Amino acid sequence: MIEETSPALRDRVQISMDKKSLRQKLKDFPWWFVALLMIIFSSYVLIAINPKYKDAFLFIRIGLSTTITTTLSAFFIALIIGLITGLGRISQSVFFRNLATLYVEFIRGVPMLVLIFFIAFAGVPGVVDGLNVIGHWLQSIGVNFLAAPLITLENKNIDMTVRAVIALSVTYGAFLAEIFRAGIQSIGYGQMEAARSQGMSFWQAMYYIILPQAIRNVLPALGNDFVAMLKDTSLVSVLAVRDITQVARLYAGRSFRYEETYTTLVIMYLSMTVILSLLVKYLERRYHRSER
Amino acid sequence: MNAKPMIEIKNIYKHFGPVRALDGVSLKVYPGRVMVIIGPSGSGKSTLLRCMNHMEVENKGEVWVEGELLNGTQKNLNRIRSEIGMVFQLFNLYPHLTVLENITLAQRIVKKVSKKEAIENAMHQLQRVGIAEKADVHPQKLSGGQQQRVAIARALAMKPKIMLFDEPTSALDPEMIKEVLDVMLLLAKEGITMVVVTHEMGFARAAADEVIFMDEGLIVEHGTPEQLFDHPIHPRTKQFLSQILAH
Repeated sequence: MIEETSPALRDRVQISMDKKSLRQKLKDFPWWFVALLMIIFSSYVLIAINPKYKDAFLFIRIGLSTTITTTLSAFFIALIIGLITGLGRISQSVFFRNLATLYVEFIRGVPMLVLIFFIAFAGVPGVVDGLNVIGHWLQSIGVNFLAAPLITLENKNIDMTVRAVIALSVTYGAFLAEIFRAGIQSIGYGQMEAARSQGMSFWQAMYYIILPQAIRNVLPALGNDFVAMLKDTSLVSVLAVRDITQVARLYAGRSFRYEETYTTLVIMYLSMTVILSLLVKYLERRYHRSER
Repeated sequence: MNAKPMIEIKNIYKHFGPVRALDGVSLKVYPGRVMVIIGPSGSGKSTLLRCMNHMEVENKGEVWVEGELLNGTQKNLNRIRSEIGMVFQLFNLYPHLTVLENITLAQRIVKKVSKKEAIENAMHQLQRVGIAEKADVHPQKLSGGQQQRVAIARALAMKPKIMLFDEPTSALDPEMIKEVLDVMLLLAKEGITMVVVTHEMGFARAAADEVIFMDEGLIVEHGTPEQLFDHPIHPRTKQFLSQILAH
């Protein structure tokens, strides 16, 4: 439980902060952030006035919707995988605990780029083959309504964008699992005991008591991973998914304007991540305040 | 005492690794009576209390609640627990909920009481512990004594047949102990069945029908407050009381 600071102490801290000298204020001011904003702003001015940059920007922009939808859908699926795996990591059941740990450690031991290749070109086809086999078996025992969709499933029909989303969500699911696990473990055991003593089942206690507190605690960490995932979607360009990185590579290769293209690409990622980081900080502060 | 015991403990043993917390304890708690358990720390008194609603599961022996054996199935356990109120040393209020929500939640989801009824009951219980004006604040804004009174109200709201108190004043600042003990005395006078683990000898004298002295996982002495405090028989009891009352 977070120890409440006494109002008197808080006032004293507040006063000492007000009394901070101008010199100290200048020292503590986040100059780096001003510089960052200026870099972004001047780059957009450059894009607006220089036709070479403008062309690059207008072309790369085509990939923006893919980058954003890939990030959102992969993160959403990763949240579900992460929550289930996080619960598995602290499960009483030896089987589920080991299964969850195996998954997390497997993912953490392989570079993300390699995982993306692996899942897209070995994982997904393997699962499809498996589903085909199950489909044929179901057909042989006469369960045709289930068998039909499994047999008609073909590798070539599974779009690379879908594979990219699967790859990213499976990878990030393992990272988020660790965040959820830490969040749940950060809630004192007394909370679970109090809930169980009132006759709540384990899952009722989890749902009503533990998870709301745990998720609030890990919100900043989830936000950071969301920003990280936005950046990591650039890796799916290796699957020829037309996100902004892939589109930028195409444009640079075609126009030979490497400088303009990659500068613009950097600024586009940077402006998205800066905005998101600010949002995460704002949410963090708001939740922190409401807890008092 | 012809009534059936509310809780009956039959020869239970509990060990944590090599530490033997309970070493063959039998006990009956009768309806309407207040039982206070005292003893040095590590004597197994909290463990005994926590076995009564299976917060701790005994290694050997049986726990019966109202003629029903706690048999380890979740359904049996959850239903029986909903009829046993428990108050913890560290309050364990739900910090993400308001005081009112703390008290209505289990009524709603465990006892399936309607929202209106749950709120009415919660407000009634808050009045009972004298803190109704704090219904809409979060528990962190309350003092320790107030938090513990909310925790008592939360337990009472389930309309329990028995209340278990696990050192309810041990984590409180001295000036807040009285307000909690006053509420507990009130409940004792109302005839609520209570089992209380505490170091508050004054409370034990005033409220208890029976006092149990435990040491090293065993019940050493068991009697009325007068017998136990004024005429202790066992040397270990005498020693403990002299240490406690010396300061």
